[in-house]
Order: sequence, then C-alpha cells, then structure tokens
Amino acid sequence: MAKHGTNSEDYAGPLKRLLLAVLLLCLIGLFIFWRIDSPRAERFRAQIVDTVMPGFDWAMAPVTGAVRILRDFQSYQRIYDQNQELRRELRRMTAWKEAALQLEQENARLRDLNNVRLDPRLTYITGVVLADSGSPFRQSVLINVGSRDGIVDGWATMDGIGLVGRISGVGANTSRVILLTDATSRIPAIIQPSGQRALITGDNSAAPPIDFLEDPDQVRPGDRIVTSGDGEVFPPGLLIGQVAEDPGGRLRVRLAADYERLEFLRVLRDHGARRVGSPSALILPATPPAIEMPPAPVPGDG
Amino acid sequence: MAEARPARIWVMRAAFIGIALLVMFYRLLPLDMMPPRFAGPDVLVALCFAWALRRPDYVPALSIAGVMLLADILFQRPPGLWAALMLLAVEFLKSRDRRDRETTFLMEWLRVAIVLLAITIAYRLVLALLIVPTGTAFLTLMRYATTIAAYPLVVILSQGLLGVRRMAPGDFDHAGRSL
Repeated sequence: MAKHGTNSEDYAGPLKRLLLAVLLLCLIGLFIFWRIDSPRAERFRAQIVDTVMPGFDWAMAPVTGAVRILRDFQSYQRIYDQNQELRRELRRMTAWKEAALQLEQENARLRDLNNVRLDPRLTYITGVVLADSGSPFRQSVLINVGSRDGIVDGWATMDGIGLVGRISGVGANTSRVILLTDATSRIPAIIQPSGQRALITGDNSAAPPIDFLEDPDQVRPGDRIVTSGDGEVFPPGLLIGQVAEDPGGRLRVRLAADYERLEFLRVLRDHGARRVGSPSALILPATPPAIEMPPAPVPGDG
Repeated sequence: MAEARPARIWVMRAAFIGIALLVMFYRLLPLDMMPPRFAGPDVLVALCFAWALRRPDYVPALSIAGVMLLADILFQRPPGLWAALMLLAVEFLKSRDRRDRETTFLMEWLRVAIVLLAITIAYRLVLALLIVPTGTAFLTLMRYATTIAAYPLVVILSQGLLGVRRMAPGDFDHAGRSL
C-alpha cells in the first residue's frame, strides 16, 4: 500500500508541477501582453465582460432592487425630518422655478432673435447601470449599451445634470464608463466666471481635486466648472460641478452628477471625438505639426 | 470514508467555483458608486487560502488560476499578475502544509498573513516597476488588514456550512492513498 502510494506520488508530482509552471507562464505572459499592447488586451477584457455580465444581469437587477428598497426603508425612520426639509426646499424651489421660467422665455426670445441653431450632433443614448467596478481601487460602472448601439470609446457620459465620466472599453452589449473620481481620469475644464482653465484629476475620492490652475486667486468656492473641449476629449460646455475648498485649502470639485445614485446614464454622441486606435495615439498627434512651427534653436535640448 | 468519494471531490470543486462566482457577483452589484473611505476584505483571497489549507484536492491549481483570472478581468485589475501571484502563494501554502501537519490555527493564520503580505508587496512592486498606476498604499493596507481579519470567519463558515475541514492523519482518499 505504502509503495503504491509513493509510486503515484512520484508520477503525479512532476505532472502537477508542470501544469503549475504552464499556468504561471500563461498568466504572466497575459500580464506582459497587457502591458505591451494595452488597447488590444482591454478589448479582449471588454469582450469577456460582455459575455459574462449579461449572464449575471438577470440576477443582479432584482438583488440590487431589493437592497435599495431595504435602504429606502431604513430612511423611513427619519421621515419627519425629511418631510420638513423637503417642504422648506420646495418653498425655495418655487421661487427658483418662477425665475427659471422667466429666464427660459427670455432665452427663447433671444435665441429666436439671433436665429440660433442648437448643435445637432449632441444627441444621446440612455443606458442603465449594470455593475460597478467591484474594486475599491477603480471607479467605473458598466452600462448596458455597447457597440451594437453605436457607442464609441471616448464619448462623454452624463446623468440628468452633470458629467459622470468617459466611455472606455466597449463590448457588443456593454460598455464601461470610467468615472471622474477614478484615479486615471483627467478632464480639461474651464471654471466659469473667471474663464480659468484647469484639469480635473480623479484621485479615488468623492471630490476630485482641480489641478494645473493658472491663477487660483481668481477662483472662488461655488464657481461653476464645465468641460473646456480642449484636446477634443469632450464637447465643450458640459457641466461638471462646483468649486469647493477642502480643509487643507486645496480646491476640489463638488460633482454635479449624483454619484450616490447612478442608475440611468446618457452617453452623448460626439462625432468629433478623437478615436484612440494605438497605444501612443492619445499622446502623439496624427501628423506632426513641425512644418508650420518656427525651427527650434537646439533640437536635442533636454 | 464517505468524505473521500470522487463524486464528493468534484462536487466540492464545483462548489468552490460557484462560491467564487457568488462573491464576484456580490462585489459587482451597483450599490454604491461613491469612492470608498475604506476597503473591505478580499473574500476571494481568504476563501482560496482557507480551502487550500484544509482540502488541497478541492482547489486544484487550474480552478485557482481560472477564478483569479476571471476576477482580474472583471474587477479591472491588470489581467494575470494577481492571479499568478495567488497561484504561487496557494501552491506554496499547500506544499508547506503537507510537510508539517501538526499546526494550530494561530500558526496557520500567521502563515497566511505572511504569505499574503509577501504577494501584496510583490504585486505593488511589479506594478510600480512597470509604471502601472496603483491605488493608494493606504487602501491596499486596509484591504490587507481586513482580509486577514476576515480569514477566521471564512474558515469557520467553510468548515461549518460546507464541511471543508482538515483530513485527520489516518484518513485515506478513494484510492487508498494517505493524504
């Protein structure tokens, strides 16, 4: 018995080790492939997510719904306070609504006078949030519209009010939205009354900081932040949020979109958006603009 | 002896994959889109370690690799790296465990903590070397600590509910080999 045992151990041991080595090589090879040719690997990832997620979807929707109902139920405990607050808010809102109606009429009259045509390219597709990133390190959501619906990488995504993120990774039926709070998100923006340009850089916190601000003194908390359209990343003029100052004195964005409840997202069709096909395409321009530029004094400076 | 029938082994292998899918499913639920203040435990990792230390035959290398690779892909991690490190760690723990059986749970916990720390550091080092942006070190530390803290709970649940417990030294598998 003992002899039989050792024999099969001898036989199974190297085989197991071989399998282990092959598996490890495959995994590490996949990782290196991802590092070298990221867009292709990410497309592969999008395809896998696209095949796996619809299988989860039928179960996900009811579970999510049930948990949300439970959470809403908890909020009934504070219902009286909420009711009072809503009444106060409603009174304030009625005044605002009156003002907004007047402004809308005035705006319509002025537009009519100017013969303005709204940008016909900015139409949108609405999708439902299927899943989140599942990891505390990445902030992204998966929505149920994909290349079948004409979604293209790089399009802007909004909820009803503000910018939410950017499409990155499109499968046939699903696509991933990298949220503004993700650590890899960089959005060029303008801060409204002063016209200062800045970059909204996500850092995995609820309020992304404002970076590369030309003159912070001209910016006040409460200023509106909209996309600038620089670098053809996004169409200009989409609302991002308001400026806020954190206790450390750093300027941050209070996002206009309601990140607590992302359910329906609008993907803006943007046919002017630049498409990213190869790894360096986002950094290098398609044709080098060297001809129009004055010759540099020293070519290899630095 | 009833524990060691081949059908039982295959059922438990399937159960491991099923539980892993359930954990992923739960983590993908779009419940909270705000960036978290703290990172919860990585139940998948704790599950792999707990099962591999109790019943290595329930979690063959192939299913560990498959589950962790799927997790990499679904959770937007760099595909393959964490899976490879987990595979290494699990196989290391399996081989160590076969050598010295007489261990207390405290020793096992300590060993899991050390191995997980090692692969976490290796993961961050490799990503830093290849200039891949990683999350903040605080979140990683948090996730590590909560995973280690959740480990006994995962062990208790898998022992109590699913009957994944260590084989006694006298037990044999279906072919009569000692495990």
